[in-house]
Amino acid sequence: MAVAGSWRQDDAGNLKDGGGVFQVCTRTVMDTTDPDITFDDAGVSNYWHEYQAFKAALPTREARDATLATTLEAIKRSGRGKRYDCVLGLSGGVDSSYLAYVAKQHGLRPLVMHFDNGWNSELAVSNIEKLVSGLGYDLETFVMDWEEFRDVQRAYFKASVLDLEVPTDHMIMGALYRIAARKGIKYVLSGTNSATEWLLPKAWYYRKLDLVNLKAIHKRFGDRPLRKLPSLGLWQQVYFDRVRRISSAALLELVDYDKSAATRLLATDFGWRDYGGKHHESVFTRFYQGYILPKKFGIDKRKAHLSSLILSGQITREQALAELQQPPYDERLQEQDKQYVAKKLGFSGPEFEAVLTQPNHAHEDYGTDLDQRRLYFKALKTFGGPVRWLRSLRG
Amino acid sequence: MRTVRIIPTLLIDGRGRLVKTVRFGKRTYIGDPINAVRIFNTKEVDELVLLDIDATRQGREPNYSFVEDIVSEAFMPIAYGGGIRSMEQIERLYGCGIEKVVLSSAVSEGTDLVQRAAMRYGSQAVVVCLQVERRLLGGYRLRAGTAPGAGSPSPVETARRVVEAGAGELLVYSVDRDGTSAGYDLPMLRAIADAVDVPVVACGGARQLDDFRAAVVEGGCSAAAAGSLFVYQASSNGVLISYPTQNELCSKVFERLS
Repeated sequence: MAVAGSWRQDDAGNLKDGGGVFQVCTRTVMDTTDPDITFDDAGVSNYWHEYQAFKAALPTREARDATLATTLEAIKRSGRGKRYDCVLGLSGGVDSSYLAYVAKQHGLRPLVMHFDNGWNSELAVSNIEKLVSGLGYDLETFVMDWEEFRDVQRAYFKASVLDLEVPTDHMIMGALYRIAARKGIKYVLSGTNSATEWLLPKAWYYRKLDLVNLKAIHKRFGDRPLRKLPSLGLWQQVYFDRVRRISSAALLELVDYDKSAATRLLATDFGWRDYGGKHHESVFTRFYQGYILPKKFGIDKRKAHLSSLILSGQITREQALAELQQPPYDERLQEQDKQYVAKKLGFSGPEFEAVLTQPNHAHEDYGTDLDQRRLYFKALKTFGGPVRWLRSLRG
Repeated sequence: MRTVRIIPTLLIDGRGRLVKTVRFGKRTYIGDPINAVRIFNTKEVDELVLLDIDATRQGREPNYSFVEDIVSEAFMPIAYGGGIRSMEQIERLYGCGIEKVVLSSAVSEGTDLVQRAAMRYGSQAVVVCLQVERRLLGGYRLRAGTAPGAGSPSPVETARRVVEAGAGELLVYSVDRDGTSAGYDLPMLRAIADAVDVPVVACGGARQLDDFRAAVVEGGCSAAAAGSLFVYQASSNGVLISYPTQNELCSKVFERLS
């Protein structure tokens, strides 16, 4: 089967084709555009096998319901006497929107946070508006300083690294924990779920919370100081986790989550509108996933999303293959988005073209937080025992 | 069914950032103005008022390239105000593609600029913004630095004078109501609207759609502008661009105008 844009460029700019043979998994739609994929003799990829193991290890329905009950109980207890018992991030996309609905269904009282990075689409803001007013939640918007955010995004483009969503994803999490800490909220609800996003190859993204990498890229390619960054590096994580005792709860993992049923429900009950593409709630994300990833990195993320849906039994492989026959999104719109993204980021047309066609770099080329993490875990190992012992003496 | 213009007012600070004020003072950062304009495009907003609230205070010219950027993204006509003191500036602004100029502090030096702009571009292209505030002991006055001539003529008298000079529209902005969501200052609007025969646009204090109806029916205005209502989520103070749909405007405003 021929798949457009399935060839991957290595760092030297050579086309890499998975050892010369292009192969598609016979159970999912993952293929050799993922450099780490392996196949068994029947042509079934490692992902299918891993998913079977994952599924086998899943708790029974009763056990899951029990976990849900204790989780809800703990969240509610932590919020007794307060206006909110948790905070949740709402982008207007299906996962976070459904999470907001599920929270209401179970009697939680979340403060809804929206992270505005300057790329909101009208669809996103109107979905947020409908859900927040429909569910009777309070909304707090973390409006990221646009000039500063733009500078970070420009730096990532100039660095020519793979994961241009790191700045947004990092800061959303950072903003969530900051707001939770400020308001004395102990739980952050997370929309992470295996129903729609179990499968994401390691080579197709970078760790979102590596603050060292983010800062290094910005230091090298940015033009202005970072002052308002809601950072969430290792030390901040330790602080929020150990000192402020803020936990995360992945509520969608504890309920049945069927994407198309959720989409229908949100549309009927709230007038919510579908994006027609995962994470197309922002022009930037649409352009990144639909243009940059396929054209610059040979990655079509839809393959992972669709494979997740196949694995969790929500669509058939045939449906997924049919969808992959379509271009990531309308080609005229791609051109429009490209001009808009360039203009908004302050690149001239030729500058942007040059940035997009320069050789790719690994995130690791600019430095990582691995040393920090090693240090931290070593310290935990060394002092963890004595600290626990001291605590036990105190009773 | 009678329809009226419902206009979002966007305030821009000295660095080209979108902000929202309370009583012309405390500022909240709202985000990137270009993105806001794009969202208003999709929401099919008919016109926008863009006010640079720092230009006059900083004694500088309008930021032309910024205005041009906004205009090039906007599908709707834009009225621009802030830092305008001369015909040359007005000419450049029209060159940037704006539809109307909004004069305010310039009026403090007399109505000459209003007159010349109206002669040259037509009254429909010249808006005067009256920044009206309450006097401590009752009554109204124009905010310092925006009243024409010596003494302090009443807002009504100033309204008459600028209209006589050629202003085709008045944007009557209540300083005390700005950003408070306390509703429009209807008696004040009524007094001005009754005194002139050009469109008066209410501004400052809108909290809900019904306030637009009130501005027209009780305030005698022919259009209504709002800031907070279109940049904050209704029930809490989260920043979120919004604009009513045509259906909402029809059922909650237009059909109740008679």
